[in-house]
Order: sequence, then C-alpha cells, then structure tokens
Amino acid sequence: MDNNIIIKYLQGTASEAEIETFFQWLDESEKHRNEFIELKKIWALTSKFENKEGVSWSDIQPEFSKPVKKRFLYSFIKNAAVFILLIGIGAIAQYFFFGEKDEHVYARSFAVTAPAGQMTNIELPDGTLVMLNSGTSLQYNSEFSSGKREVYLEGEAFFDVQKDVEHPFTVKSDYLGVRVYGTSFNIQAYPEDREFTATLIEGSIGLLDKNGYELSKLEPGEKAFFNDSTASIEIRKVDTEMYTSWKDGLVTFRNEKMDYIAKQIERWYNVEIIIQKEGLCDERYFGTILKNKPIDQILDVLKLTTSLEYEIVPRANKPTLIYWK
Amino acid sequence: MSLADSNMVLPDLTSFKKGDEHAFKIIFEDNYDRIVGFCLQFIPDREEAKNIAQQSFVKLWLNREEVNTINGICAFLYTAAKTECLNFLRHEKYKSEYQKNTLKIKENLLNRQILESFHFNKLEYQELEGMIQLALEKLPERCRIVFEKSRFEGKKNREIADELGIAIKSVESNITRAIKILRKELRDILPFVLWML
Repeated sequence: MDNNIIIKYLQGTASEAEIETFFQWLDESEKHRNEFIELKKIWALTSKFENKEGVSWSDIQPEFSKPVKKRFLYSFIKNAAVFILLIGIGAIAQYFFFGEKDEHVYARSFAVTAPAGQMTNIELPDGTLVMLNSGTSLQYNSEFSSGKREVYLEGEAFFDVQKDVEHPFTVKSDYLGVRVYGTSFNIQAYPEDREFTATLIEGSIGLLDKNGYELSKLEPGEKAFFNDSTASIEIRKVDTEMYTSWKDGLVTFRNEKMDYIAKQIERWYNVEIIIQKEGLCDERYFGTILKNKPIDQILDVLKLTTSLEYEIVPRANKPTLIYWK
Repeated sequence: MSLADSNMVLPDLTSFKKGDEHAFKIIFEDNYDRIVGFCLQFIPDREEAKNIAQQSFVKLWLNREEVNTINGICAFLYTAAKTECLNFLRHEKYKSEYQKNTLKIKENLLNRQILESFHFNKLEYQELEGMIQLALEKLPERCRIVFEKSRFEGKKNREIADELGIAIKSVESNITRAIKILRKELRDILPFVLWML
C-alpha cells in the first residue's frame, strides 16, 4: 500500500476510500497492525495542539485553599456522576427498548456472539433457530425483518430455518455461502481456519460462491468442504451426526489429528494450548467427548489413547495456558 | 520550536505538592498543548479532546500528593489522559452512529488497542522526551525540518510545501520517512517501555 495513505490517515486528511484501503492493509496481518501501532504511538507522543483560545489553569482549576468549597466541589462531582450515570442508563435502556423504532430509517445491523468457551441459542425475527458454537458471531441487519433473510457468519452454527418459499434464507461467510429452502444444516466457517464446511441434515440447500451465484445443490446427508488454499470444493456423503453433535454438547472425533483437536478445545474452553511434544500434532484420536465437562477430564480422556501429558498454567487477565508435552 | 523547550522552568516539587498555585500554573502551561495533542489523536472531536485533557489536569491537582518526582508529573498526565480517552471510547461504541459504520468500529477498537499499549508509569517522561529529541536530531535535515513543521508547528502539508518550495507528495514522503526512522531509533533505545504490546 502507498505509505502516504498511512500519513494521511494519521493527519486525519485521508478520504473515505483511503481509510478503507488503510484498514484493509491493517487487517492483512498482525505485522501491519503492530507496525502501525508503533507509528501511531510516536505520532501521539509528538503531537501538540495550538492553544489558540489561550485556556489557562485558572479557567478550569477547582477552587483550592478553601476546604469548604472543596467539599462542595467533591459532592457536586459526586452528584454529577450519579446524574450522568442515570443519563447513561437511560441512553442504554433507550437503545435496548426503543431501538426498533428507527429500524426502517436505515439498515441497522445486529450481531450475536458466542464467546470462546460458550454456546448461544438465538431465534431470528422470522422464527429461524440458530445455535452458535464457541467463538462464533452472527450478523444480520434490520432488513431481515422485512423479508431479506440474509445473515453473515464467522464461526460455526447450526441452523433450523423457518420455511418461507418466497424469501430464501442466505448464509454468507468469508468464503462460500448457502441459500436455503427451509431446512436444517450446519456450517463451519471460522475465518482463521480458511475453510468452509456445510453439512445438510434435511431439506435442500444451494451452495453459493462469494458473489452469490449458486454452484451446486446439496442433498440431505451431504457435506460440502471448501479449502481456501486449494480453492477446491469437495462434496460427499457423511454421517451427519459427526458434524452436528456439538450442539448436544457431544463431540465426535473420527481419527482427527491432535493439533486440530487442540484448536477445537481452545475454542470451547477459551484456553491457549501449546503443543511442545515432537510428533504429538500428528497423532490421531478416535472417540466421542462430552464437551460440558471440566477441561482436565477431557484431557484425561485424550490421555488414555494418545501419548499426551499436560500442564495447566492459569494466568491473570489472559486465557489459561495449557502445555501438551 | 521543538518538542520540549529546553530552558523550561521546572516547578518546585514541594510547593507543587502543597498546592502552590504558581507551580501548577507552570505545569499547566508547559504541558497543556501536548496533552490535548495526544488526546486529539484518539478523539478527533476537539471540544471532547480539550475537555479530556483538562480533566487530566484536574485529576493531577486532586492527586498532587501522590506525585513523587517532577518527571512523574508528565507521566501522571499522560496516564490520566490515556484512561479518560479509553473510557470515552468505550462509551462511544454504544452510540447509534457506530452501529452501522464498520470503519468507525474498527477505528474505535484500534485506538483502544494503541492506548492500552502505552505504559507511562514505567518511564520517567523527561527521559523519553530526551530520547525523542535525540532521535529527531538523527534525521536527515530536510526530513527533520518537514517533520517538525508538521508536528510541532502545526502546519498543514500545503503550507510546508509552499514554504520550502517542494511538492506536497514530497512533504508526505518526508513525514513517512521521518516516522519510520524514529520508530527504528526509538525501538532500539526503549524496547520494554514504548513498545510493550
């Protein structure tokens, strides 16, 4: 990207399009982000404002050397704080309770998130039920209620779509999408995995490319798998149980590699796993695990058939660290 | 004009702690511009930024007994400004204009990430300032002149271009170059202070 865009952004003179380019560059890699953070820190520390109005300390100073007044000031601040808090609560309440009022004025977007370590159930305005797996977010906007049934998924979710032939239901993700004709299915599309998996349980769904063109239809019991690095789509018959068992708190691994399992466990429990042992990544595990058990029990189960040993290190303000050794 | 006026009169810490009005006046005058400047980088609304900066001075005044060195004053002010900016940005996120504007949300998150990575308590500000000054002196001359005019004299790119008789593009690329060199210089000097990410 043109370096001058960074400077323009820092100086606050970048156009809307340039800002967009800037954020694209920023999101490209952690390296870009860190580089910019360093630049911005220097920028902020070397920044001076021209005090044209000539504001002086005496304009803003609290009354001093007069203890009585000071107490008055303190209680004033305290009362003001309560008052501001009440306004704040009012504003939040207004947002939650009366938010729908301006629904038709502009397309407002809603986002539901299941944080790492949690699952979330939601019912969309049309009655469609969605269960979000850990570390997943689902977005849709206010046009949803007026018939444009479109959601954007980052992560994994199970959909039970309300039938409505006139208004097809569309799920979009970073890679592929799905158009639905009243049905239930599972989609896994965590952006960091650079993969997309759709598994159809019943009904019928069409597989869409990024631009919304239908690539293929799926039959019940079929799974479509897309990998960004090979850019290929593979459709095959599967045991659907395996792909949807997570919603019942069960998870089935059929000969999965340990590094894949580690990634899953990181999401369910919001922990960070570091695999230290040579060769453990490539070991495979076969079995069903109960997800809602404490993590050490899960790890003990894995230990039975693999060479896994583990150590749990709790950390303040950060996800717990687990070494696999 | 440079980042710090080298002959800046340092106020007497004891009188400052006692609540001496004059000592505080000096501190305000020496630091107000840069604290507002700092806030403006995260809160583009000038009135808000000034308000937040002023709050930081009030906070300093109310907590003056906790300050132990003269250099700690600046660190205190920056820390207070950082905290106030973060609070402001956290609330800003809930305003309705943010709900539909993904760029604004991204910017809000980015600014919070940057603010959180500042650790002013860990440094004597005076020292940091000296280092920035030193790094500035290492810049190629044209580069330094452009950077100082832009950052410390508050001149617009157009004005600098006219003044030096160069193209706007060249002003922009000199600023880019300056900030990249500063980044490199300062990273070597302060590995655990400024760059704690």
